[in-house]
Amino acid sequence: MNESTLFLVAFILYIICALFYLTFLFSNKLGGAKIGSALAIAGLVIHTLALVLRTIESGHAPFTNMYESLSFLSWASVLAFIIIDKKFKIPKIGPYLMLIVIALVALASSPLMPKDVAPLVPALQSYWLWLHVSVTLLGEAFFAVAFITSIMYLAAKDVEKKEKMDSVSYRSVAVGFPLFTLGGLVFGMVWAYKAWGTYWSWDPKEVWSLITWLVFALYLHTRVVMGWKGKRSAIIAIIGFLAALFTYFGVNYLLAGLHSYA
Amino acid sequence: MKAIIRFFTSVRLAIVLLIILAAASVLGTLIPQGRSFEEYALRFGRLSGLFIRLQLTQLYHSIWYLALLGLLALNIIVCTLTRLSPKFLKTFRPQVESDPKGLLALKIKDRFKQTAPLSAVKAELEKTLEAAHYRLRATIHDAKIYLLARKRIWGIFGSDVVHVGLLIILAGGIVSGLGSVRRQLAFNEGQTLAVPGAGFELRLDKFATEYYPDGSVRAWKSTLTVLEQKKSFLTKIIAVNHPLTYKGFSFYQTSYGWNWDSPAVEIWARKKSDPSLLKKIKLKVGAGAPLDDKEQTVISVPRFIPDFVLGEGNEPQTRSLQPNNPAVLVEAARGTEKIYSGWIFANYPDFAQMHRGKDTDLAFELKSYEVGQYSVIEAAKDPGVNLIWIGCVLVMLGLGLAFYWPTWEIKVVLEEAQGKTDVIAGGIGQKSRDRFGAEFEKLMASLRRSK
Repeated sequence: MNESTLFLVAFILYIICALFYLTFLFSNKLGGAKIGSALAIAGLVIHTLALVLRTIESGHAPFTNMYESLSFLSWASVLAFIIIDKKFKIPKIGPYLMLIVIALVALASSPLMPKDVAPLVPALQSYWLWLHVSVTLLGEAFFAVAFITSIMYLAAKDVEKKEKMDSVSYRSVAVGFPLFTLGGLVFGMVWAYKAWGTYWSWDPKEVWSLITWLVFALYLHTRVVMGWKGKRSAIIAIIGFLAALFTYFGVNYLLAGLHSYA
Repeated sequence: MKAIIRFFTSVRLAIVLLIILAAASVLGTLIPQGRSFEEYALRFGRLSGLFIRLQLTQLYHSIWYLALLGLLALNIIVCTLTRLSPKFLKTFRPQVESDPKGLLALKIKDRFKQTAPLSAVKAELEKTLEAAHYRLRATIHDAKIYLLARKRIWGIFGSDVVHVGLLIILAGGIVSGLGSVRRQLAFNEGQTLAVPGAGFELRLDKFATEYYPDGSVRAWKSTLTVLEQKKSFLTKIIAVNHPLTYKGFSFYQTSYGWNWDSPAVEIWARKKSDPSLLKKIKLKVGAGAPLDDKEQTVISVPRFIPDFVLGEGNEPQTRSLQPNNPAVLVEAARGTEKIYSGWIFANYPDFAQMHRGKDTDLAFELKSYEVGQYSVIEAAKDPGVNLIWIGCVLVMLGLGLAFYWPTWEIKVVLEEAQGKTDVIAGGIGQKSRDRFGAEFEKLMASLRRSK
């Protein structure tokens, strides 16, 4: 089995997983959620193998181009979902999160993303690549969970469900924010200093990381100090995730030409 | 005065500042930063003047952006200071007594009666709470025993540690902005340059580009030697991600190139009329050399182009400074008469055959060329960087404390009532309330079981 086959198997498992979660969503029978959860774990294991194989094959961290980083982000999102589901028992977010994961994996599999194993350019030859990218994307995966639960909060009618979604959303930010701060900003600054001799150069990617961080700082201050909860918190969390998504994607594609990230 | 303090201590100000800073930062990524006036005029037309006056083209270094950051720093300082003293008081001189009614109004609470006497219940309670890693304080007042049990008290300082860390990072930014030195030093191989303001010199011994088997670049490596008073101190090979650090200065591999001023070329000259003649000539561009034939022909190479292309009016020019299509102009003369002039190409040895000079008897090949490379090294000294790292460590430590070191507080009032002991307990914890509630219940249950 090679990396692309394993990746495909994981993809198929995620799709079946999403289907089971959808049956659970419509029938409200917990059996579907249980199978879905087992399939998510199975998919994650296969996906992990794919990432390990890719690392062995290329000899470097599996996030040096869009295909690899999308694959890793979807892996991290499944991991974040499994952790949150185990801890808070909210299989209801399963179908939505798996749809996002499938979208990410589909994007990674699309012909738009070159999948060739390329040798590592000099700028990326550093162990900070591992630390910086993996921790940042893991943080963003938890932001994705906060995003889903915030949307579900807004959509829910039942008060008890609303409260649960609000609480899980906050707890996801509580995991994602320190991870994003450490991986995106702190490790990013350390690596920038090592590679370029300056820890901060107001590059669009850096600025958008800062914007994402400011939005989640806003989320925490309004919530913890001013007691905002519910709708307003949910909206800020959604904006925060969109900012994170733009940092990850948009800067590369829409603001390209200002500064190419080596 | 009070109104001013209230304004700066309000979280409202912090929230407003966070929103404005985020919005301003977005704006700075929509308007390209630090470009020329012409570029802005082309792109934004009449708006460009306004943009420049509002410093939107240098947004992150503009007075108003820095003022916003300064205001945020002030807000953080005032907020932190006003909160610290009550927090220290709470930590070191806490109020042990509590109002039973207040405890019963809490969400996490319990009330029960034990048959054991007051002192026995107190001892049991202390044993139970200490086993669960709570730190205890007790006091007796009006025949009531008050207990204050807390764990992870330092968690309440999490946000303050984050904020102090952020202030240190901002201070580091100021120190960097005022005191950092950044110079690009372009070295030819073998060249020694003084590092400005450093009191030592640097020599580039060697520059090399390493390639992967597929032809893409693996590494650019500069071998640098530090010289003090003309004596070698240390030699290190630097590459991207692997700078040299010496006496507060760091040296980064930033760029490289070829020094095309006067490369040396090797040219093979032939005569079709005389197949036995093969002259290998090595010379520098701009120089000449005899062919050593009967006619005393002299060969010269006036021009070299690294990336040959024909521009407008068929004028030879270079497309880049990379050796993609190296070509040399060869001229041959007999006395004062120029008998040959033509371009020959390293990558296309047969091409010159198609061009006919005056004397078609001569044929040339560009066999090789030697060119010196230069390496651009950035010398940087940033006195603010250590503050940045200290600030980062504090921010992470503070986030850890704030999110994962929840302070839990259990307050208990014990009172004798009709030969029994009345236990009233309440739990206060802002973070991880579910886990705290479960632990509280477990502790109270184990206390009830004890007789």
